[in-house]
Amino acid sequence: MIMARAMTRHRQPEPLAVLPEYPGGPLSGLATTRGKHPHAPVITDIPASPAPPRPAERVAAVEDLHVTFRRNGRDVQALRGVSLEIAQGEILGLVGESGSGKSVLGLTLLGLHPARTTTIDGKLEVCNQSLVAATPEDWRRLRKTHMGAVFQDPMTSLNPTTRLGRQVSEVAGSSAEAIRLLNAVGIPDAERRLSSYPHELSGGLRQRVMLAMAIAGPPRLIIADEPTTALDVTVQAQILQLLRRLRDDLGMAMLFITHDLGVASQVADRIAVLYGGRLMEIGPAGEILEGPAHPYTDGLLRSRLTLTTGRDRPIASLAGEPPDPTQPPSGCPFSLRCAFVWDRCRDEMPAPTVKPQDTTGSHMVACWRTDDLASSGQELAGKWPAAPSAPGLAVLANNVTKAFTVRKGFRTQKLHALRGVSLEIAPGEVVALVGESGSGKSTLLRAMAGLLTIDSGSIEFGMPGHAQMVFQDAGASLTPWLSVSTLLKERLTRADLSSNERADRVRASLATVGLPAEVASAKPRELSGGQRQRVALARAIAMPPPMLLCDEPTSALDVSLAASILNLIGRLRRELSMAVLFVTHDLAVARMVADRVAVMYLGRIVEIGPVDDVVGNPRHPYTRALLASVPDPGAKLTTARGEPASPLDPPDGCAFEPRCERSGDDCCLCDPTLDLVRPSHTGPARLARKVACLHPIAGVPRIPGGLPTDRHEGDD
Amino acid sequence: MNPLTFIARRLGAAVVILVILVAAMFTLSHLSHTDPAHAYLGAGASKSAVAAERAKLGLNLPITTQFFHYVGNFLHGNLGVSYRTRNPVTQDLAEYLPATMELAFYALLLALLLGLMLGVASAGHWRGARILKFVMVSGASAPLFLLALLGILIFYGHLGWLPASGRTSMPNPPTGPTGFLTLDALLAGRFNMLINALEHLLMPATVLAIGPAVSIGRVLRGSLVTVLREDYIRTARSKGLRERAVLLRHALRNSVGPALSMTGLQAGLLLAGDVVVEQVFAWPGIGYYAAQSIPVGDFPAISGVTLVLGLGYVLINALVDILQRLADPRVRI
Repeated sequence: MIMARAMTRHRQPEPLAVLPEYPGGPLSGLATTRGKHPHAPVITDIPASPAPPRPAERVAAVEDLHVTFRRNGRDVQALRGVSLEIAQGEILGLVGESGSGKSVLGLTLLGLHPARTTTIDGKLEVCNQSLVAATPEDWRRLRKTHMGAVFQDPMTSLNPTTRLGRQVSEVAGSSAEAIRLLNAVGIPDAERRLSSYPHELSGGLRQRVMLAMAIAGPPRLIIADEPTTALDVTVQAQILQLLRRLRDDLGMAMLFITHDLGVASQVADRIAVLYGGRLMEIGPAGEILEGPAHPYTDGLLRSRLTLTTGRDRPIASLAGEPPDPTQPPSGCPFSLRCAFVWDRCRDEMPAPTVKPQDTTGSHMVACWRTDDLASSGQELAGKWPAAPSAPGLAVLANNVTKAFTVRKGFRTQKLHALRGVSLEIAPGEVVALVGESGSGKSTLLRAMAGLLTIDSGSIEFGMPGHAQMVFQDAGASLTPWLSVSTLLKERLTRADLSSNERADRVRASLATVGLPAEVASAKPRELSGGQRQRVALARAIAMPPPMLLCDEPTSALDVSLAASILNLIGRLRRELSMAVLFVTHDLAVARMVADRVAVMYLGRIVEIGPVDDVVGNPRHPYTRALLASVPDPGAKLTTARGEPASPLDPPDGCAFEPRCERSGDDCCLCDPTLDLVRPSHTGPARLARKVACLHPIAGVPRIPGGLPTDRHEGDD
Repeated sequence: MNPLTFIARRLGAAVVILVILVAAMFTLSHLSHTDPAHAYLGAGASKSAVAAERAKLGLNLPITTQFFHYVGNFLHGNLGVSYRTRNPVTQDLAEYLPATMELAFYALLLALLLGLMLGVASAGHWRGARILKFVMVSGASAPLFLLALLGILIFYGHLGWLPASGRTSMPNPPTGPTGFLTLDALLAGRFNMLINALEHLLMPATVLAIGPAVSIGRVLRGSLVTVLREDYIRTARSKGLRERAVLLRHALRNSVGPALSMTGLQAGLLLAGDVVVEQVFAWPGIGYYAAQSIPVGDFPAISGVTLVLGLGYVLINALVDILQRLADPRVRI
């Protein structure tokens, strides 16, 4: 009886730190006294490189873990001998591309793998309990008392038909405890939120609710599976800060699964890199990021876009794709893509050993050739040729507005998606539209594609032919039962071509996007995500369009694939002289692909100009907040408060005012117009730098002596 | 859509369906060889009497005028006079309808309960799910009358557990206020009467319910299996909830939508089956009434029954839409 009660997670509500929503002073006196785990250290300050965990402190451990499950009648060998430990109070970042087995490891630790079809071999231990032969009931009890979980998509991870109060209380034990947890994760007005349904909350708030449920107890181990991937970049930065602070206050360990080394660098104490179901490298986060010892980690880091990646040449992307998990190679799984490959790599998988230069013994790598990696220099691709330019305009959008009618309860409301947007794009020019969800960037793109009618304003095209679109989800935008060649030929029906010429065109456009000719007879589902996106591009350019409209074409792809698609778009625009409008939420991507960038907020362009100028010297506080939210290794995240205002009810005055740190009294009264930053702008009018802010950030001050530090004159 | 528009649309749809029914009934009565005047006066009536009756009933007027009279009468709640009973059809219906409503209500309730059990048990791989499914599917595959006769043979004939006919075997059944014998007995405090009425209801209601229950259960199982793969179910499991709580608290409410739609559709079949079942169990409802009216071509009575069944079907489906709206806070019908 006593044992049974002790197993209940909400046995005795423990005092939980109530955190201010945003980072402030030190959280003194908020450390919790935790009756359940008296040995847990309350970590208040994380050293830059923590000491390796001692076995006594470990919360979870796997040793030579093999996980195999059946899918579509084939055995998927998701994990093939992985060994690692998670120490009490530690955040272990688990990094890898899709198919690397990282999510499988997370779900296996939670015991949420499909029990009927999964076989687990090796050692698996959570909270000193061996779990290889555990019954579902053992696992359930463990989850209830000692574990919490946060998943990727907060839109689908909460029960849509149950009030939040009930969903949180279910694990917290009482409404009072639920309110306390919701306060702790920074949900404003928590008591009122208890009666809300999930769809009434923004994505960031929903993820905070997920976190509130995960920390109920509090648990000893949290599995966070891509918890920020579906969020806007500013909200991602907030959640990453919150995760780290919760760990500091509550002292639980965390397995933080992500595909992005930059995100991992922001929260993790140690990083483990997984590939093809095997551990490639593991060690303190700082060491992995500064001195990667495995060619794969090195490749991942180089494919990653930062705000300082050179943009005059293609990105150094990893060629190829991960191996098929139903037929894994017997040697090192990365040998198929590795530039350093030896015969031995193909035959024999190296065991993780301490990195030769490492003195602490905590940085392990599984590679035969790690010494050669250290001595090799970085090979650079050739520079891009200059982009062709032509006179005239590809498209001219003038003061475009669009409002959607939405139903909210008993009333209908107007959702103001575009509130007066003007944009010119020259032939051959690439313009990136950047903004958080709800900024209207996709609506503008769709309006230009003619997929929706605008309410007022005009969109004029300066060249014959139709703009072509490439979507985010390439899988969903290709009809599943048609072959690639049929899909491509659809674009050629109007052209005056014989069937032979059509087949030639299909082959040629596949070759242009770097796909073999055999792909023509394949169905979309037989292709990988990267190949599908290439097919989508091949379809768009089968008849070269004057303009390409891209809606986040890389945000669903792994970093190495995203880099290769961006390189492809960079090449196509130059070869085919296409104008490109590229919608993205990621300023680092925008910077690589575009000549100019337009930052959108709540249906308006708030800043526009040449991309180096805007990224290097942001004038609008919102642009600066977006830049500060990009999770680069080594960069400290600072971010805008809160989340975007509702486009249902745009505030009077500047829409960004409620979140702005620079706002003055006039900001909420006066709606700023998009004005020239430098009144003396010379050259084509469309290239002018403009900002819509009453109190723009000043440019970099001149060095005494008269030489301007930035290359423009007439600054402020 | 706002709720008032929603109700207005539902009512509009109901009116359209009823007008179509009325038109169909009118056409049928004119296509048949039964002369209403003749039927009303009886076989031995003189020719002059029949002619006078035809004039009185307006049967010599142009057909369009007759149709407008017909519709006008309906609108005034005048469903005509039954040839057979010589009572106004409305009066007959008032007498027979409550029995049918009670039977249909309990049958639908039972169908929902059995369907819910079947769906949840088979989606959750509960013990006994296969047996339940076997019994119910074999029950649903038998024709209704066979099932009814088998029931009578076994539970009345051999075992003697259940009565085989009528609504009650006790004297002086309560006559008001709801017309539902079970409810009236409860209101009057006559518990023996209540139990007796329930005993009489059990067999016909089960026979009627089993087909719809299988359909509802199958649809529910399908949507439960889909919902059990959702992310929020994984969340619920990650909280360490018991599988039963996951299924009943998190999955069920998100799965009832399609099952409710199916319930609405099955209500139509259930009302059609009601005619057969009332006949077998001598249940004094409108099915029984209709079965007696059809052989003698009693068109006013048949029209009345059709109209009432149509109205019931429309109302049940409107109710289903409202329930679906209640089940999912996101749906704005």
